[in-house]
Amino acid sequence: MAKDPRVTRIEDLPGPKSKQELEEMKMPYEEYCRAQFDPGNEFSKPQSLKGIRWLSTTMYIFTPHSVSNLAELGADVIKVEMPRMGDPMRHCAPFNETYLYPLHESRPMTGTGMGYLNANPNEYHISMDYHIDEMKEPFYALVRMSDGLTQCYRPGTFDRWKQSYRYLQEINPRFISVWGGGFGYGPKCFGGSYDILGQAHAGLASVTGMHEYMGGHCTKHSNWCIDWYSGTQITFGILAALHWREKTGLGTKIEFSQVQAATRCLGYAAPLYGRFGVVRQRWGNWDTQLCAHGIILCGKSEYPDAENPQDRLEARYAMISAFQDEDWKELCAITGMNDLYDKYKSLNERAEGEAQIEIYAALEKWAEDKSRGEVVKVCQDAGLLAEPVMNDREVYECEHYRERGTIRWMDDPIFGDVLQHGSYSAGLMSKTPRRLFWIWRPVGADNVKVYHELLGYPTSKIEEWYENAWL
Amino acid sequence: MCDIIWCKKDFEGKPCNTINYLDPYCFWNWEGTINCAECGAVYYIHMIQGKMYRGPEDRPGQKPDTSPLYADKPLDGYRFYGAGIEGRTRPFECLPRHIYLGVPDMVKFSIRGRPVRGHRPQPPSAGIAGSYGFDWDIEKLSPDLYEEYQQKIKNGEVSEW
Repeated sequence: MAKDPRVTRIEDLPGPKSKQELEEMKMPYEEYCRAQFDPGNEFSKPQSLKGIRWLSTTMYIFTPHSVSNLAELGADVIKVEMPRMGDPMRHCAPFNETYLYPLHESRPMTGTGMGYLNANPNEYHISMDYHIDEMKEPFYALVRMSDGLTQCYRPGTFDRWKQSYRYLQEINPRFISVWGGGFGYGPKCFGGSYDILGQAHAGLASVTGMHEYMGGHCTKHSNWCIDWYSGTQITFGILAALHWREKTGLGTKIEFSQVQAATRCLGYAAPLYGRFGVVRQRWGNWDTQLCAHGIILCGKSEYPDAENPQDRLEARYAMISAFQDEDWKELCAITGMNDLYDKYKSLNERAEGEAQIEIYAALEKWAEDKSRGEVVKVCQDAGLLAEPVMNDREVYECEHYRERGTIRWMDDPIFGDVLQHGSYSAGLMSKTPRRLFWIWRPVGADNVKVYHELLGYPTSKIEEWYENAWL
Repeated sequence: MCDIIWCKKDFEGKPCNTINYLDPYCFWNWEGTINCAECGAVYYIHMIQGKMYRGPEDRPGQKPDTSPLYADKPLDGYRFYGAGIEGRTRPFECLPRHIYLGVPDMVKFSIRGRPVRGHRPQPPSAGIAGSYGFDWDIEKLSPDLYEEYQQKIKNGEVSEW
């Protein structure tokens, strides 16, 4: 602004300030977006959370992911693992086979499983047995130099070890302490949690999958979606706490129950019960509000000669959407379901449970002699919304994801060529995008960097701790 | 789940009664001879897709091709042989398996033909207290892999996607 508020300067006014800016503003929107987001060029832009330092004494996916969001946005995150062994997630997925080596110098024949991917990127990995008295001093030293910590031990454990919020805020009043776990305080306080437990206990699994009379069962998502979801919810809490600290100068305690987070996905389930006493049921690949608006099974394989059984046998599902009256009319015309059009002319009639059973059965009958691609093409040619249910290989080969940088190859400095979709799938930011420096580091890989270079301990001390297996 | 060889040979005056575990990582598709971890008796087996197609058959006097992953003696309480005891059991290698055939398949290159650190043992590159450097220079630390990679580049087996 000009010094005299009565003076109006061109640079203070909205709109283009130069010919170049004017040209940029005239760009077609598509090009403008490409120039703004510029996938692949993230590393030349600033990082929004640079300067935040966060500690992570977390395991598996849920709590680590709450911190990995910060690390991808530029925070310095120090992951503290148990000596030699590390996070148990390193050892357990998928099917305990797909390993990247090394895990730790003392275990040259053991690697880290790919389940660890996306949960701990860009983090410095140190080891410390922080529950013993001998290591309290370096632990507290880290707390003094950090903005916060996320942990996942059973409620009260960190308190017993004198590492809970009420102890840490005395050392660092600006400290933000996060606990993430199963149930939180309450009658089931000591129940642990896993993703499947979160999905089950929150009522989410009971409404996932087809109804029992259609041969379905309650279903958990194959991946740990509630781990990823609730981890991200914690990140929102952390960012809000950081903002609050900007205003008050004080830290916060965040307590985050995984089973509680999963209930948030249930939409109208509880209000429905509260008003009508109706317990929401599973409706699988169809929709409780809209019809036709679901996934149907096609009779012929898209890749009948493929070697991979996932392609040869499973690529047979298509998503079709034609719930508006005009679309529904078109769908009935191209599929020959004219009797159903006469029967269910309005959306309200079509959305009834019995109507949906009849409609989807008729659609699958029509698709019996067609492949997924044929069904999608017929629908799209008629102006309807339809897409194949893609498998991971098709996602990998999808041009849309490649152009947007959602899925991309990276050369990890230690582990080599890695196909990545996690870091770059969480939305685009024009000024401070997420980025991935490395997927993870071996257990204790940054012991010298953190204990010596950051905290100032002599290397002889670090070696002594290491000999005692405290590091 | 894995198959077993329950060795009942006489050993030191009584039945050996050792259960030798045939872990699927090694024996899923496998033909050859294997020793009993306790008495050293040699058996021939042929497994296809995790099923015992032939055997176990005695092969006295033959040299075993491999050993069980571990073995125990359930009739002797908690006596067992863990993995990696020389001459008795095999080290646990946990190799990735071929996606269709289940045979051990140590992955050294990604699907686009570039080197990955999915193989072991790895070259020692650790420093003080298990610290690791930030860069794995394959030319220096894994020269064999580097050579293989150069060959792949020459053969046009390396692509962008």
